[in-house]
Amino acid sequence: MLEDITTFLEVTAMSIVPYALCSLGIMLGARTGVLNISGEGAMLMGASAGFLGAYFTGNPLIGMLLALAAGGGLGLIFAWLSVGLKLNQFMMGICIYIFGMGLADFIYRLCFGVRVLPPLIGTLPKVAIPGLSQIPIVGVLFNQNVLVYFTFVLTLVLFLILYKTRIGLETRAVGENPRAADVLGVKVIRRRYVCVAIGAAMMGLAGAYLPMVFTGTYTPLMSAGKGFMAIGVAILGSFRPERILAGSFLFAGAEVMSYRLQLGTGIPWQFLLMLPFIVVLIVMWIFYKRAEWPAAIGIPYSRE
Amino acid sequence: MINFEIAKLKLLFPRLRPYLLAVLAGFGVVGVLITLMGRNPLDAFSTIITVPLGTAHGLTETFKKFVPILLAGFAYAIPFHARLFNVGGWGQLLFGGIAVTIVGLSLSHSPPPLFLFVPLLILVGFLAGALWAVVPAVLRAYFGVHPVISTIMMNFIAVYLVNYVASTAPWAETEAAFAGHPKTLPLPTEARLPPLGIGGHAGLIVAIIVALAVYFLMKKSILGYEIKAVGANPTAAQVFGISIKRVTLLSLILGGAMAGLAGAIEVMGVHGRLIEGMEFTVGASLGIFGILSALMCACNPIGLPISAFFMSMLIVGADAMQRTMMIPVEVVFVAIVLMVLFIMMLGEKMKMR
Repeated sequence: MLEDITTFLEVTAMSIVPYALCSLGIMLGARTGVLNISGEGAMLMGASAGFLGAYFTGNPLIGMLLALAAGGGLGLIFAWLSVGLKLNQFMMGICIYIFGMGLADFIYRLCFGVRVLPPLIGTLPKVAIPGLSQIPIVGVLFNQNVLVYFTFVLTLVLFLILYKTRIGLETRAVGENPRAADVLGVKVIRRRYVCVAIGAAMMGLAGAYLPMVFTGTYTPLMSAGKGFMAIGVAILGSFRPERILAGSFLFAGAEVMSYRLQLGTGIPWQFLLMLPFIVVLIVMWIFYKRAEWPAAIGIPYSRE
Repeated sequence: MINFEIAKLKLLFPRLRPYLLAVLAGFGVVGVLITLMGRNPLDAFSTIITVPLGTAHGLTETFKKFVPILLAGFAYAIPFHARLFNVGGWGQLLFGGIAVTIVGLSLSHSPPPLFLFVPLLILVGFLAGALWAVVPAVLRAYFGVHPVISTIMMNFIAVYLVNYVASTAPWAETEAAFAGHPKTLPLPTEARLPPLGIGGHAGLIVAIIVALAVYFLMKKSILGYEIKAVGANPTAAQVFGISIKRVTLLSLILGGAMAGLAGAIEVMGVHGRLIEGMEFTVGASLGIFGILSALMCACNPIGLPISAFFMSMLIVGADAMQRTMMIPVEVVFVAIVLMVLFIMMLGEKMKMR
């Protein structure tokens, strides 16, 4: 039993990363009033670019940087369309999702063509933190790969920036009342571009996590809806970093449970895999209207 | 009279200009990419255009793609006029296919009269697609949930449902499941859509009827008027006594029904059964191409058949290009998305002017 709990914690902590990173990325853009729903596309781009970078250089760090760049680039295009050209955010989100998905496959196919055996990269090693990793039960939280630690630290940093610094205050003001922020000298458009691009870069990194930790290779559509579930996580967490981390824990836990329950119970595995998506629908049903939405979400800003 | 026609053409050209520019730009991008890969772009273009239009087999394939893409396009286009983004064509289409397979297989032992079997199954697909859209429609109408998120969740649920039906008794073919490629038993021949010569299969007739019906719905009917009124200005529509809830529910569910029809026709006309992997090769690709063709023509019911046909042509051409020139189809896929983006950007520019 104790063994079970330890394993559950260990695997869940590992599975948090894609949800949390992608969801934090959505949160960052949303806080300036731009809801970027193309996370799935950015994740796939990140997965493809991250895998290729790590495969050809043998260095996962270069893969991660490429994934950040790929996601960020996609985010810049999205920001240009929705902030610059003021096109509908949701429609552009759909287009960029499809674009990222196609481009990710294209780049991969360009490098490898069709192969019977997929090319593989080594997965990220676990790094134990001396001392902390010796604690019984929760010690497994401190014996994880670097990106798990990065996610926890990033959540803390984002929390501190958003709520304890002037930059954070300005950023939130852009999402709540851009006209007032503009009056006070905040460059609304530029702030939106920057936050959307950084957010999308985080989504790209979330995508790179998949080949680097779970599969060792890129497969088309490998993010399997995580980029969209992350929107659910962001709404559930009312676009606050600390609540998003908690929400990611819930989703990662549900995911781990759905794999765990396939052993021994008579429930067909397909229904267990449906579970996270049904959870999102229920979360939407209960929390969509209760979430604290930034007031300016979906509204393009112009000075006129 | 002739002057009048020329005047009309003169008016038409500026409206068509963004489309022509976008298509040229899209082909330009394909050309650059193919040149970078070290191939001859002119050969590729001639394959993309001549195979789907110039060969009998290619034309048949194009029509076979055209039918479900047109219907999946309507699935996005009808709710779009009420500013509801139904990205769930993928899942609704799959559920249509699932329902047709299950009903078709269970009726195969005591088949209904021949002339009823196919229409009955088409109706089943229509209703199944509608049913799959009920959850997002209710979530939108009563709880405000944006349909983009809810419909996508329904897509993934349908994906796993396809796998379940394809690998579970009594529908699954046991040997195939053991071999690791689950698929269901084939539908009886009486439940298949009869072939239609160069036009592919009888689904084309259904698609034409539906296209006419949607035209009348959007341009001549009260419901179509209400859908557009809600899309243009919900507050004003409400003041004039239009129920936003009713329009939301009806337009999303009707959109779902369109996608359900597409799935039913795809299963009855092309594959004859559910096959594992279909959730992506059929569901995702047709659903997404449907959305893209709807976006390409700003969801106009007259423009949609044209853009859906154009899209099908590109897909068949890209397939041929991959087979003969070993250039991955994704090139064309990326170019299509760019074309759609160009069209929307240019359209917006023109509106601002």
